[in-house]
Amino acid sequence: MSLFTLSILTPERTFFTGEVQRLVVRTSEGDLGILARHEKYVAALPEGPMRIVMEDGSVRLAAISGGMLKVSPDHTAILANAVEWAEDIDVDWAKRSREDALRRKEAGSNLAQLQRAEAKLRRAVNRLKVSGMKPE
Amino acid sequence: MAGANMKAIKRRMKSVESTMQITKAMELVSSSKLRRAKERAEQAVPYFHLLYQTMSEIAAEAKGFHSMYTDLREQGAALLVIIAGDRGLAGGFNINVFRRADARIAELEAQGREVVLMTVGKKASEHYAKGKNRILGTFDAIAETVTTYATLDMAEHITSLFEQGHLAMVEVFYTNLVSPLTQQACDMKVIPVPYMLEQDGPHSLTAYEPSAEAVFDALIPKYLSGILYCAIVDTFASEQAARRLAMENATDNAKEMISDLSLRYNRARQASITQELTEIVSGANAQK
Repeated sequence: MSLFTLSILTPERTFFTGEVQRLVVRTSEGDLGILARHEKYVAALPEGPMRIVMEDGSVRLAAISGGMLKVSPDHTAILANAVEWAEDIDVDWAKRSREDALRRKEAGSNLAQLQRAEAKLRRAVNRLKVSGMKPE
Repeated sequence: MAGANMKAIKRRMKSVESTMQITKAMELVSSSKLRRAKERAEQAVPYFHLLYQTMSEIAAEAKGFHSMYTDLREQGAALLVIIAGDRGLAGGFNINVFRRADARIAELEAQGREVVLMTVGKKASEHYAKGKNRILGTFDAIAETVTTYATLDMAEHITSLFEQGHLAMVEVFYTNLVSPLTQQACDMKVIPVPYMLEQDGPHSLTAYEPSAEAVFDALIPKYLSGILYCAIVDTFASEQAARRLAMENATDNAKEMISDLSLRYNRARQASITQELTEIVSGANAQK
């Protein structure tokens, strides 16, 4: 299977860079698979899971907390606020931040606060969900 | 009399020495913090470079592109995000950025715009708590361990205020680390997004999902968060560099003072010995 170069960047570091066979991400319109020689494409990514089929055929699963996907002819990049491999997710911390988000949602008095609590909740729930998923 | 003088000088030397130990330690701490902050700032570069590039491509390529983030609104307040340090003892570091921000506040108010503030760093909160401008948020002691979660939270707060029509523009005041020896107070106009690449070239065939505008608007909080993150890290690095320099100068001054004092001490000691000798000799002569 042909390979393409994928890099996953976060502001704090380069999370992943390498040759991969296939990438599956969740865009705002639904799940999307990217193979080598995909057309030029840009999409916003909400919080969601991401699967990468590596060069050797193994599959890795990660949680993205919102970002952007950019496919150009020579290079595919994901810009994410934060990414974690499924096996690295700290479940206790995610649970705590879910509780915290729920509390803030209860306490929120204006639209801005509610929106932020909602976004925090989505991120926490996504991390919990991904940590319980199987790579395949 | 000479003995008392010597004692005073000795005491003075001790106190200068202990101050020098502190300034020396602060200098070392700052230089190691500076190194780490610089590394952090450099790691953020690839991400923001690509983010900025994509946004300018959207603005330049998409036909009939239009976003509320690129228009200048008549109504609404101007938000200034002012980033300074949490501590003093860093030379003119905090003052320079306040001076710049104060000038801008006066300018905007002269144009009849309401100015609201967000402050990052204890020194900035203290400085503007006394002022008459409304403060939307203060973020103290976050700079050293700032995460993109924190800046994204700030950015989402700002964009939701913007979407509700409360804000018309957003500007960030921070300090740029030009080199370890020079730091410069800077400002950056963030919203309305300055037209990035005004080119009327061929429109490329990039597919945007759901649409160019939607992708652009979804990127705005990330863009803002990115700018805030970089500005905070940059300011923190500048603060450390400024403090390192200030402390280096303080240590040098202390060294100079000690050598000056020890010279005076030795002179006083010699003077007292000479005096004692003269007294003994003249005493002995008087006995004859």
